[in-house]
Amino acid sequence: MSGAWLDRRVLVTVGTGGVGKTTVAAALGLAAARRGKNVLVLTIDPARRLADALGVTGLDHEVREIPRAVLESAGVPGGAALSAMMLDTKRTFDELLDRYAPDPEARERILENPIYRNLTDALAGSREYSAMEKLYQLHSEGKYDLIVLDTPPASHALDFLEAPRRLTGFLDSQLLRLLFLPARAMGRTGFRLFRLGSNMLLPLVERITGIEFLRMVSEFLLAFESLWEGVGERAREIDKLLRDPATGFLLVVGPDPVQRRRAAEFWERLDQEEIHLAGMVVNRIHDWPAGHAPPALDEAARAKAIDQLAARLDVPTARASATALIDLILRQAALARRDQGLGATLGHELPLDARDVRVIPLFAEDVHALEGLGRMAERLVAEADRV
Amino acid sequence: MTRVVRELLSRRLLFVTGKGGVGKSSVAAALGVLAARRDIDTVVVEVGRDRALAGLLQGDRPLEPGDGCTPVPVSPHLFTLHLEPEAALTEYLELQLRVRRLVRLVVGNPGFRRLLDAAPGWRELITLGKLWHLESQRDGAAPRWGLLVVDAPATGHGLSLLSVPHVVLDTVRLGPLRRHTDWVQGLIQDRTRTLVLPVTLPEELPVKETRELRESVRELGIGLGPLLANGIEPVPELPELGALLAALEGAQLAELPDGAALRSIVEHAMRRARLQRGFLDELAQESEEPLVELPRLLEGVETREQVERFADALEAALAAAEVEA
Repeated sequence: MSGAWLDRRVLVTVGTGGVGKTTVAAALGLAAARRGKNVLVLTIDPARRLADALGVTGLDHEVREIPRAVLESAGVPGGAALSAMMLDTKRTFDELLDRYAPDPEARERILENPIYRNLTDALAGSREYSAMEKLYQLHSEGKYDLIVLDTPPASHALDFLEAPRRLTGFLDSQLLRLLFLPARAMGRTGFRLFRLGSNMLLPLVERITGIEFLRMVSEFLLAFESLWEGVGERAREIDKLLRDPATGFLLVVGPDPVQRRRAAEFWERLDQEEIHLAGMVVNRIHDWPAGHAPPALDEAARAKAIDQLAARLDVPTARASATALIDLILRQAALARRDQGLGATLGHELPLDARDVRVIPLFAEDVHALEGLGRMAERLVAEADRV
Repeated sequence: MTRVVRELLSRRLLFVTGKGGVGKSSVAAALGVLAARRDIDTVVVEVGRDRALAGLLQGDRPLEPGDGCTPVPVSPHLFTLHLEPEAALTEYLELQLRVRRLVRLVVGNPGFRRLLDAAPGWRELITLGKLWHLESQRDGAAPRWGLLVVDAPATGHGLSLLSVPHVVLDTVRLGPLRRHTDWVQGLIQDRTRTLVLPVTLPEELPVKETRELRESVRELGIGLGPLLANGIEPVPELPELGALLAALEGAQLAELPDGAALRSIVEHAMRRARLQRGFLDELAQESEEPLVELPRLLEGVETREQVERFADALEAALAAAEVEA
């Protein structure tokens, strides 16, 4: 099974914030490239040092190829390629405008609308939608063997799965037209349905918001409506792609108790959505040297260890230094005890086949340097490394 | 009470924000506990879809769910509110239109509901409006609520929340919406009453996002409070590190692994500590406000008991930051 993750066409890393999703996505990309594939990593916000290390300083909303020299030093064979691109919500929406706006005037109207200019990010699900849109677009181009999508951190599981539906579902263009166009534009049915809207609702809303605000909102919604037909079709295609057997979701989890709890919630949502989880990456666990179990010393054993170490020291601060060092070691042991067997426990809870759970230790060196990323890449595909 | 703690708790509205996963809810809950311990009537307000606060703050018995716009009592002087924009909007419309039946008619209208689903920005606006409303409530002459601690959404969305009054004020010149947004803006731009508290982790991306967050908050004309670096792994002072490592050579201490294994454990921890120190120095360099280092609690911050301990740690860290400054 080793490397089976990498045989898919699309890998989506999901998880809550702060678990190292972006780094895992980059390492997956590198691992696939090392196996001779042409890979693209779509990321939200890469660490500057990660981009620097990959030779794509100042990564933005354009696909950038990792330079050949960097790939070679990272063990990527000739013929394989690794590219990266940073997702930008506003830019993706601007592109949607270019594609679907009925005329340049409508396009300009949206671009100048204060709501569009300032609140695209706040529009429910817009970040998630734009990530999916970009994924779909690049996948359709068929240039890559594998696309790794690093999703926006969702504290509330899988906003991005709902995003296409939410965005298309709520902008019922017929409704908006009825609400905002003058009454004469309404058909009979519409008039009956939204009589309240035309007679009472708007004047009431207007009493509070004032006419300018209402006009701004209606302009925004009407202008956006022009995009919606295209986007709606797109959303269905995206939904299909996400459920395709060649698409795999990888849940990235951290060892903190909160992160563990959130992972379970996440998985539940995936399950409800009938999304199949391809595997799980338990990131940043605290290792303990092989061949030992992390010990829990009682007070007497701790005192004994301190005494023994202090006796071996020939410095004035022997006792204080020995105490500090033993406590440092015991803290590491406590962290390792907490994280011990976490991969197996979580995998069992979900439930996942043990072969689909990878455990990545907390590296002492910078994972954003090429070497660290390479080490993580190996751990992601190595079969032996299971806890 | 130290100066930093006093100044923080003398504000009326604290927005706790930062990158996803940095521990905003834990910090907001701990701040609430600190204030309540000083007999300040405090509401910890949760904005967004997550429901973490009730679990963090409740004791043995579960809290009532609440109606989305009325603070729910938790313990002496401590309240929590999971702010529901829909509930706050209904309340607002009732205050404005004064006829409850009319409001029900509006809010219950399917057309209006669809409009709400589609219209961006109103959730942010009504959220701030509700915070203003809570801040302005009076019990006789005194404010009903001493302090509002907002567990705000993650950076990007958190900034949308804080910038929405600008968007409205740029467009709307007259009418109640203008007047009310002016009030809201007046509150959040008043540094004697409102501060934004960025929470971050000693890692590259959170540090970068914090830098951008702080710049944006300054541009919005909103005051910044102390910078809270969370998840700090305690590192002991080890002036004799070289001698200590040498002493581990060939040692067998109590039931610990052999000296060579211990040495690699210590070296690993010290390398991690250096990485952490680097990020903390970076944060300290660019921050005019005090940098507060919050320790990582091994058992996490998930229960009221753990929040109480985290609040102790927060108080000690705030005091330590003051000494540093």
